[in-house]
Formats: sequence, C-alpha cells, structure tokens
Amino acid sequence: MKALGIDLGSREVKTVVMEDDRIVDKFKVSTMSFYRDYCKFSEGIVVDLKKLNVAEADVKISTGYGRNNTDLNEFEVINEVKAHAYGAIYQTGLKNFILLDVGGQDVKAVQIEKGLITDLELNEKCAASCGRYLENMAKVLEVSLEELSTYSNNPVDLNSTCAVFSESELIGKIAEGVEVERLCAGVNYSMYRRLKPLLTGFKGHKLVISGGVAFNRAIREYLARDYDEVITLDYPQYNGAIGSCYFGRKVSN
Amino acid sequence: MEKIGITTTIPVEILFAAGYKPIDLNNLFITADDYAQYIELAEKDGFPKSSCAWIKGMYGACLENGIDRVVSVVEGDCSDTEALNEVLEARGIATYPFAYPYQHDLTAVQRVVNNFRELFAVGLDKVEKMRNRLNEVRSLAHEIDRLTWQENKATGFENHLYQINCSDFKGDIDAYQEELEAKIAEIEVREPREKQLRLGYIGVPPMTADIYQYVTDFSAAIVYNEVQREFAFPRFEEADSIYQQYLDYTYPYNLEFRLAEIKKEVAKRELDGIIHYTQAFCHREIEDIVMKDKLEVPTLTIRGDKSRELDSRMELRLEAFLDMLGDMKGGSL
Repeated sequence: MKALGIDLGSREVKTVVMEDDRIVDKFKVSTMSFYRDYCKFSEGIVVDLKKLNVAEADVKISTGYGRNNTDLNEFEVINEVKAHAYGAIYQTGLKNFILLDVGGQDVKAVQIEKGLITDLELNEKCAASCGRYLENMAKVLEVSLEELSTYSNNPVDLNSTCAVFSESELIGKIAEGVEVERLCAGVNYSMYRRLKPLLTGFKGHKLVISGGVAFNRAIREYLARDYDEVITLDYPQYNGAIGSCYFGRKVSN
Repeated sequence: MEKIGITTTIPVEILFAAGYKPIDLNNLFITADDYAQYIELAEKDGFPKSSCAWIKGMYGACLENGIDRVVSVVEGDCSDTEALNEVLEARGIATYPFAYPYQHDLTAVQRVVNNFRELFAVGLDKVEKMRNRLNEVRSLAHEIDRLTWQENKATGFENHLYQINCSDFKGDIDAYQEELEAKIAEIEVREPREKQLRLGYIGVPPMTADIYQYVTDFSAAIVYNEVQREFAFPRFEEADSIYQQYLDYTYPYNLEFRLAEIKKEVAKRELDGIIHYTQAFCHREIEDIVMKDKLEVPTLTIRGDKSRELDSRMELRLEAFLDMLGDMKGGSL
C-alpha cells in the first residue's frame, strides 16, 4: 500500500511517499510555490499530483499549521502535533520520549508516553524561539546558517526576550568588537535558553529533536547537557509528513 | 440529628449509630454556588496559595455553613488535614481525629476503629447493625457502577456522583436509598451507549467534574472511578466485620494494594486508557511516578487546582491523548 503525506509548513511544504513502511520518495517546495504552482482552488484546494510528480497513492493525509489551509481535496487532515508524534515514533522506534520540534515559525514540545501524547507545549507567538530567529541573526552576522550552528563555546550574553530587540543587542556586541565565534555562540545559546522553559515541565531522559533547527549543532550540544540522550531524526524536516504517512498506513485502513 | 463534618470516608457507621448526621465537607464545598469564595476565605485567613484547594474549600465550608464538629482523617489521606484540625480548633470547632493505620493489618484496623467507636460511645452491635443497613444502600451504588461498565447505560458522571455520595449518604440514609432506586429505574430503561473508548479515572475525585462530559466529545466514556468506587465499598460482601471492611479499602493504604485493585478493574472493564487526576500541591502527585510505571495501560495525568472547569490546556492534552488512543484502538498501532 502506498501512502502520501503532505506537511504544509509555514515556510515549506514537505511531501513524503511511503510504501510498505519504507520511505520511497520525499521532497519539499516553498509554501508560496506549492499553493501557486501546484494547487487549484475550486471547491476547496485541489493538489495537482501530476505536476508534483507524485504517483497516485492509496491513502492521502495532510497536516500542517492551521486546519483550514491544510484541508486539501481528497486528503484526510490530521492534527499537526499528532503527525509529528507519529513521525518521531516511526523514525526512532521509541515509545517514551520528549519531542522538540522547532520549525521556521513555531515550536512544539511534546511528551510521548507509551506511544501516546500525554503533554504538550506550543509556542506560536514568539519569533525569538523559532528557526526564523536564527536565519535573521545569521544574516546580521553575514554567516550561513550552517556556519552559525557550529559555534557553541563562550557565548556572548544576549538577554533580550524579543527577536527584534535581540538584533539591536547583537549589533551592539558587534560594535564592541566581540569576535564572530562568540557572537554566533551567543545567538545559539539565547535560542536554547528560550526553548528550555518549554521543556521544563516534562519528565523523561530522552529528547528527540525535529524541525529545521535539529541541524543546529550548538543547540543540540546545549540540550545534550540536560538529557541522557538527545536523538536527531534522520529526516527532521520531513517528520510531520512521515508521521502523516505512518498514520495513513496504520490507521485509516 | 446533629451535623458533623467529615474530611473523607471514615467508618461512618459509627457516626450514624451515635445519632449524628455526617456531612462530607468536600461535597459541601464543591457543590456550593460560591465554592470559589470558600477558597478565598481560607486564603484570607492565611492558608497558603500553594496548598490544596480541597483543604481550603473544606475550611471555608465549615465556617460558612455553621459546622461545629468535624471528624478529620489525619493519616491515610492527607497530612495537611492535621494542620487544618489545628486551625479549626482555634476557631472553636471541635475536631475528632481519625487515623487509618500505616500498618495494613487487621489488628491495627481493629484498634483504630474501636478507639473511634469508644470516642462516640457506641457499642459494636449497634455499629454492625448500621453496617448492614448501609451496605444495603451501598449495593445500590454498586448497581449503578455495573450499569456503567457492564451495560453501558449509566454515564461516567453518574458513576462518579452516586458512588462518591456513599461517603456520607448525604446525611440521610433512607432518602439516599430512595434517590438511588429512582436513578437505577431511570438508567435501566436507557439504550446502551455505542461502542466507545473505555476510560478509567483514578486518583482523588476531581475538582473539574466536567471531565466526564468533556471526554464524550471524543467518543470516550469513563467507566471506572477508582476512589469513588472505594467510597462505596465494592467488596463489602467479603467482609465479616467492620474491621475487615475497612481493611479491604484501598485508598488510605499503600500504593501496591491500590494498584492491584486498579489492575484487576482495568482488565475486567476492558479499559483502553486511564486518566490519573492529581490535585496541585498534593503528595499524591508524587505517587504518579509509580502509578505510571506500574500500569501498562496508557495513562494521562491531569492536575487540577482551584477551578471547577477544565482549562484550555487540559482540554488540549485530553484531546491529543484521546485522539491517539482512538487510533490505537481503531487501527493496528
């Protein structure tokens, strides 16, 4: 049986095809391009699978931010938090863990026990703890996201709660002549400090990280100090789409 | 009959036999229109914000309802009750401590029940006679329980309500018997519920009794209320004395004993999941560590505080949990 999962994220739309519990195809397009180039708006949102170059699937599941814009024709919509939980269960084989998903514009912390969600914290109001914060700060520092994520030592202190004020604070530090490595580490550390309160209420020793920020080595390093084990998924950005396929294969039939 | 407050289930046979009208202060507090003011009153008098809402509510309920005698359980329930006692005494309310023994054996139970009986100067014969009378009414509450889990006719809330009231029989045994009989007649003629997720509720009774209704939005029904069921002494038929009956009561004793009974009911009632309710600032929150560890069935812990209604975060958690539990039951996950 073939399952197609689409995760409509705030920045990118991720598509995964699974067959017999194996991922056989995955790709992403920008959210703008997805709606503009691959959808028709007639009696709901109709996805042009041919254009997307995806073969017809037996089950089609969509998920993503906000229920209305994820309601694709012929797709069953599932809750985004659940999709991520299933994705992480499939990718790790674990049943008890804490999932931290840091996407472009939102953060989810989810407690999974015995394979079910038992607690969750969402942050969708503060840009300073999302991927977008790292992107902006990397731009200010004129380094790539990849390079930014490699620095964790001796972070410069950035105290602002707000993403916009953090930028001015960072510029102030640049003007003080602080070296770029410490500035990068400071950005990473300030992000980690904002993520931490989301996780404090959750019990457990294993943390699974998904979303684009899972690629940030420095943040992984900081988190590793708080847990016995920090697991980065093989396909952190595709986790929601993978979870959709997993749900489709296991549940809807 | 003179009113006497109780802070949880105690050998209420003794109070009835002594001619008192027992009033469960928890019920008096939680069903009051101005329940929040009871808590406020307690906080104004100095009860910490970081203390249990039930303790504060019972304190307010005593003061606002002119209760001048209270039997308070100082061991086996909540050690804060010990301090509550002191404050009540200072306010001129007479308190009678009752302590479930730490040792879970017949001799120990016999000792505390006899002490309590002597405190109210009633003979064992009268107490045993009263036990038989109360057990007749308790068996009606058991019937409502059976109508919940076996016949799928009584609701989770009814199951909660009619068993919990067996702590004090609402102060009037005959009237409560009549109420139960009428309720059973009403429930019996209902159509059974369609197949649903079957949930168990464990832990102290909730502040947020809307939980029973809320879960029904997700095709789920609570068909087991652990502590409320214990309040109705479901195994009284196996007890040949009041001592035996209060020995075979899980709530005040060790977790292992409680868990063994819960596990038995999880299997018998074919439960899909458990909701463990804990009260903010209660020592039973710590017991949750062991509960979750020892129960194989998926368990969600909900922590209530002062409100009688679930907050949006609790609702979101329940929704996510029940959603996935439904997948688990419906599919092959």
